[in-house]
Amino acid sequence: MDCEQVPKTKDQLNNLFYPHSIAVVGTNRVRDSVPFDLFNNILKDGYRGTLYPVSPREPSICDIDAYKYVIDIEDDIDLAVIVFPSTVCHLAMEQCGQKGIKTAIIISAGFREAGPAGAKRERQVKDIADRYGISFIGPNCLGLINTDPACSLNASFARKMPEEGSIALLSQSGALCTAVLDYARAHHIGFSKFVSFGNRADIDEIDLLLYLKDDPRTEVILLYLEEIRDGRALMDAARTLLEEKEKPVLILKSGATEQGASAASLHTGALAGSDEVCDAALRQAGIIRCRTVEDLLNSAVCIVNQPLPRGRCVSIMTNAGGPGVLATDFAVDEGLKIASFSEHTTLSLKKYLPYSSSITNPIDILGDAKAERYTAALKLSQEDENVDGTLVILTPQSMTDIGAIARGVKSISKKFDKPLYATFMGGEDVQAGVDYLESSGIPHFQRLQDMCKTFAVTCRIHERLTRTSSTVPVFSDTNQEKAQAPIDVSIQAGKSFLTEKTATELLYAYGFPVLPLYIAKTETEAVEIAERICYPVVMKIHSESIQHKSDSGGVILNIGSEEEAKAAYRTIVANMDRAGKTSHVDGLLVSKYIEDGEEVILGLKRDPSFGPVLMFGLGGIFVELLRDVSFRIAPVDTASIEKMIREIRSYPVLEGFRGRPERDIQSIVECLGRLSQLALECPMINELDINPLIVHEKGKGSTVVDVKILLRGTEQC
Amino acid sequence: MSETEEAPVDRSTIEKSVKKVISEILRIDEVEITPNANFIFDLGADSMHSIQLVAAFEEEFDIEMNEEEAFSVQTVAAAVDLIQNTLENRS
Repeated sequence: MDCEQVPKTKDQLNNLFYPHSIAVVGTNRVRDSVPFDLFNNILKDGYRGTLYPVSPREPSICDIDAYKYVIDIEDDIDLAVIVFPSTVCHLAMEQCGQKGIKTAIIISAGFREAGPAGAKRERQVKDIADRYGISFIGPNCLGLINTDPACSLNASFARKMPEEGSIALLSQSGALCTAVLDYARAHHIGFSKFVSFGNRADIDEIDLLLYLKDDPRTEVILLYLEEIRDGRALMDAARTLLEEKEKPVLILKSGATEQGASAASLHTGALAGSDEVCDAALRQAGIIRCRTVEDLLNSAVCIVNQPLPRGRCVSIMTNAGGPGVLATDFAVDEGLKIASFSEHTTLSLKKYLPYSSSITNPIDILGDAKAERYTAALKLSQEDENVDGTLVILTPQSMTDIGAIARGVKSISKKFDKPLYATFMGGEDVQAGVDYLESSGIPHFQRLQDMCKTFAVTCRIHERLTRTSSTVPVFSDTNQEKAQAPIDVSIQAGKSFLTEKTATELLYAYGFPVLPLYIAKTETEAVEIAERICYPVVMKIHSESIQHKSDSGGVILNIGSEEEAKAAYRTIVANMDRAGKTSHVDGLLVSKYIEDGEEVILGLKRDPSFGPVLMFGLGGIFVELLRDVSFRIAPVDTASIEKMIREIRSYPVLEGFRGRPERDIQSIVECLGRLSQLALECPMINELDINPLIVHEKGKGSTVVDVKILLRGTEQC
Repeated sequence: MSETEEAPVDRSTIEKSVKKVISEILRIDEVEITPNANFIFDLGADSMHSIQLVAAFEEEFDIEMNEEEAFSVQTVAAAVDLIQNTLENRS
């Protein structure tokens, strides 16, 4: 973050959404200009409070007497909406401060987004606001809308006020807001609050989310962000909304293809690109990430208009076979289950439907189905205890009474506490039915895949709300002081990484199952150590300055005898000579060679927005190629760690695949728990790879075979 | 006047002419046009007025003003300064 923000109080934000008086500062009489349209919108959309135009030139705006300066207004002002050009916004803000106004919106553009001079203006305005204790939205924004009839405020330059509803939209982009508003009006989607916060120089999305937590008119919050500034605060706020008030947060974040891992040097750093981390963090916080505006609005409509599904078992009902099969495929792709009907449902469907109908799921009620058949089958579907929700499909055929079917769908929807979504396929013929469904709160989808995708989204929200709580594991056998000491020494010496021996000792201090490492300075010592710890052994160079040992032939595995040990020692020494690195080598590390188990990778990386990120995946040299990894933000509770392990595609390998033994998954859970604790307690670790961790058979634990640690503030390799 | 005949113009004369021009373009009383008055914030000028003002100053003083400098001027006093500098540089 640019600077430490102080969270806004509810009173400060109340003045934003429910002001008793507003001054529009810098308005004019030029129609189709932002200063005029904004004033006019507040006026024409029925604002319930008192409105004051402030204009240096005009005696009146829209027949309301104007004031030259805001300080000339005798009454108290709750909210100032500044529409002056950016070059004089600081003068307007100064006068707002003198007037005692505590809340403002700066609509004007020409600030940070316009380059260094604009950024300077933004800082100037922010400094003045801070001096007077003014909270403000913007600059560079569309404004704010509150559809609550008690206020009825359209302090924006959007063309029209949206319908009243229980969806709140917070957007960094003003242009996206206008597009959403237009789409929403066409689909009868209502909003409670609508805020375009632009450059968020003061009030940001976190302040707004926390305010909306207690807004009784808001049930779900949609968020459009181009950049997540404080990821951890966003995660905390979203968790609070969901867990305390059951209000889901849905996000559309642009920049999904950006690669933030270019400068990374370890596997974890290379794999934990900013978007992968963002995805994992949002999911961890229960935030639903959508990829399009339509997905965002579809999901919101389902959340506010229909019950959440209690499970993933769907019934699909159609008057045409093809779309039913397509929908089944889409549903399965989205992780939904095709419900098996109870015997009672099957018998009843047989009784009500024509002989040639399909009475298994998907139910095909045939092309000549009229409203009565739709309604009867739909009722049976929703009644079935094995069904968590029904997806209704209609194709317009000559005898299809679309309007009557739409009314039937609505009547059934009201009778059951289960979701019901519809896709009336087509265009012109079905439009009246679609309009009826949408205005009746039945979610309608143009495409079958969107219907299935959205059902899966609502399932995830329900699963999140009903999940069993789990605690973050705390290990008391760790020694933070012992782990921190070598980090401090290395940083003081200007080192960017720890040697393998030091890194291994650090892990040992945190209770990881590490192998003892012994330093041999001579060939004889190397052989002696190998004999003592028993063959097979591994030899690798011990160096303060060479990090990637295997790159220069500095590692030899599976040394099985005295002869092999001597040969390995000489080979490594010769390799170092050849590479001109002999002076960098401080001896050889000798350790036991472990091969009995599956190789996994455990990683840690600091993300600038979300903090410490943990990574898990199948290990080895192909980890970056296969990208079969999962991420979580530390701290992580035990249930999330278990889920993180199950998430990777190759998880069946750990469960025992094709006759291979089941591995000790519990030991991975423990190691990831310890890594989560280490990440929080040793903040100077920037990146860490345990690759591989060899996971033995179930009950036999795991062993750290190699570890690399990069330190903060000295990132380079 | 030819170049050789030009004489320095004193600041009060420039200020008086500047006020006259502003008063005409923005249609406001000269009394309101104080040296510290901000064209946008105090006098209500918009971007179109800015173009008209620069053109009128150039005509009034028979000068060519640097566009970037002219459009970044915020107050009456700053406009007088710029015009005076332009006149002095010319002579």
